[in-house]
Amino acid sequence: MTALVEVTDLVKHYPIRTGIVFKHSIGAVKAVDGISFSLDAGETFALVGESGCGKSTTARCVLRLIEPTSGTVRFEEEDITGANARRLRALRREMQMIFQDPFASLNPRMTVRGILREPFKIHGLEEDGKVENLLEMVGLLPEHAGRYPHEFSGGQRQRVGIARALALNPKLIVCDEPVSALDVSIRAQVLNLLEDLQAQLNLTYLFIAHDLSVVRHIADRVAVMYLGTIVETARTDDLFEKASHPYTQALISAVPVPDPNRERARSRILVSGDVPSPVNPPSGCRFRTRCPKFANELTEPERQKCVDEPPELVDRGQGHPAACHYAEARQLV
Amino acid sequence: MADAAAEPLLSVEDLRVHFHTDSGVVKAVDGVSWAVRPGETLGIVGESGSGKSVSALAVMGLVPVPPARYESGRILFKGRDLVAADEKERRAIRGKEISMIFQDPLTALNPVFRVGHQIAEVIQAHEKMGKVAARMRAVELLGEVGIPNPKQRAREYPHQFSGGMRQRAMIAMALALDPLVLLADEPTTALDVTVQAQIMDLLIRLQENRGTAIVLITHDLGLVAGHADRVLVMYAGKAAELGTIDDVYYRPQHPYTLGLLNSLARLDQRRTDRLKPIVGQPPSLIRVPPGCPFHPRCPFATDICRKEMPPLEPKDGPDHLAACHHSDKVALEQSPAAS
Repeated sequence: MTALVEVTDLVKHYPIRTGIVFKHSIGAVKAVDGISFSLDAGETFALVGESGCGKSTTARCVLRLIEPTSGTVRFEEEDITGANARRLRALRREMQMIFQDPFASLNPRMTVRGILREPFKIHGLEEDGKVENLLEMVGLLPEHAGRYPHEFSGGQRQRVGIARALALNPKLIVCDEPVSALDVSIRAQVLNLLEDLQAQLNLTYLFIAHDLSVVRHIADRVAVMYLGTIVETARTDDLFEKASHPYTQALISAVPVPDPNRERARSRILVSGDVPSPVNPPSGCRFRTRCPKFANELTEPERQKCVDEPPELVDRGQGHPAACHYAEARQLV
Repeated sequence: MADAAAEPLLSVEDLRVHFHTDSGVVKAVDGVSWAVRPGETLGIVGESGSGKSVSALAVMGLVPVPPARYESGRILFKGRDLVAADEKERRAIRGKEISMIFQDPLTALNPVFRVGHQIAEVIQAHEKMGKVAARMRAVELLGEVGIPNPKQRAREYPHQFSGGMRQRAMIAMALALDPLVLLADEPTTALDVTVQAQIMDLLIRLQENRGTAIVLITHDLGLVAGHADRVLVMYAGKAAELGTIDDVYYRPQHPYTLGLLNSLARLDQRRTDRLKPIVGQPPSLIRVPPGCPFHPRCPFATDICRKEMPPLEPKDGPDHLAACHHSDKVALEQSPAAS
């Protein structure tokens, strides 16, 4: 089966310029520093990581909302990295986005009808009756079409955002933290809706999230990012049951579970310190400055390898790729 | 850890804090009671608009009056009623005996003053200590909360600290005078999860060393399960359920608690087909439904629920309380946490 989306060696660097008369580059923020992954049609692929890891930047590069510095993005086998404005416009019908902030992502001066009509207008398409249909698909009522965003709750606004993303029948939807800004009791409603729509319309989701519990529920496959690179990737259950990279292990062990006995029984792996600057990531393995394995379990020569050699993202015997010279699967939940 | 037989250090009794605004009366806290004992951690769980933050701000005397009004209730601390106390008394307690940390450290840290100076300032406001001694104590505290190179860091400004470090600095400031109670309002919500784990670990260790009581206010049921002894679940300004974490998580007596636990995606379980959401959405605090505020969303609601607010009373033992007319039906449902 050919992939719907294929990303190869994607890089996004933001140059840091200084100087008053002559601006020159003194370095770069290496937001995304060479990642590759693919998405199969109909699947949900999650990119997880903490702030500054590059997951949102990656998603925006896939949609070409941000221009990659280098690397390629293929959509349905076509190289779209260099696609011109005209081709990109046609492609945008196939690739849409749902944003994190339900308050900022809707124009407050347009009614819901106006917001949902806009995609059709932009692409010169007929929209008779489609607005009502879209509202129904996301669980809103026809009378909601005449209202303004401020009249809705966060969860309802997110539904409008989803309806807008569905308007042109896209194949791929990038969901950028779609439920993090919503109240806990509303999240399940929106997640169920996203899953129902995926089944009905055979959608492919690139799901950006930092909440691992949500990812465990919704994703088929997961890639964990740290400082601009992918450190581990696997099918969801494999990642959670056999996490092999120390960062993934720390991430999973840090997430609290709403079950007092389980919490009491858990062993926490704590990382030390803060995330290094993406302007100057550590040499060799980027995680080594905070890695509990590096600090507590490795010999001097083993540590030297972490300093000198960036570990490749390959399967080291755990059944899925991990970028650690000393990868070892651990069960943490 | 917590002495179950000890007298409560801080207790809130039937507190009502209403905001009188042009759009109507916002009943932020509407008849809530809770207490915390020395060395204990009480979790207050609720979503946005549940009133959890306002109840903590009320304890600290940080709720602006007007537009707020303390319609009724008492806040008892060491025998004194803080609602009736004057500002002089409150200021003596605030920061020294009861302290607070917030979601955004920049709420507590002034961006134009050096961090060490700010902590020293808190110390000097309450104790007779010279500037040099206070600065030294500030450096010690920064070290105690795990900030490397504390002497150098004390001379820096908040913007030079990372998010996690700012939170640590705020904790240092809050614990500078060894308060008896620490109110923590969403202290880790804005932090990455690995940093959250570091900060919670720090709070627990500090609590163990000093015996501080902690009131942990959050929307995160996982955080409470891992770090609290007892929990109060709030909804629409009222108390829904109160008990030990084992009581509330394994034998919930209120439909809202049960609904919340059922709706959560679980890190430690393989995928289920669908999550089980609570229908509808939380009400605006200006238009709280009559009777039990949860009734429009409640699968167990009957006529009486629409008319009469159920009292918060013991349901499953003397220390496990819920405000529901139909707790017996809720108790028959299996909690998703019981494994």
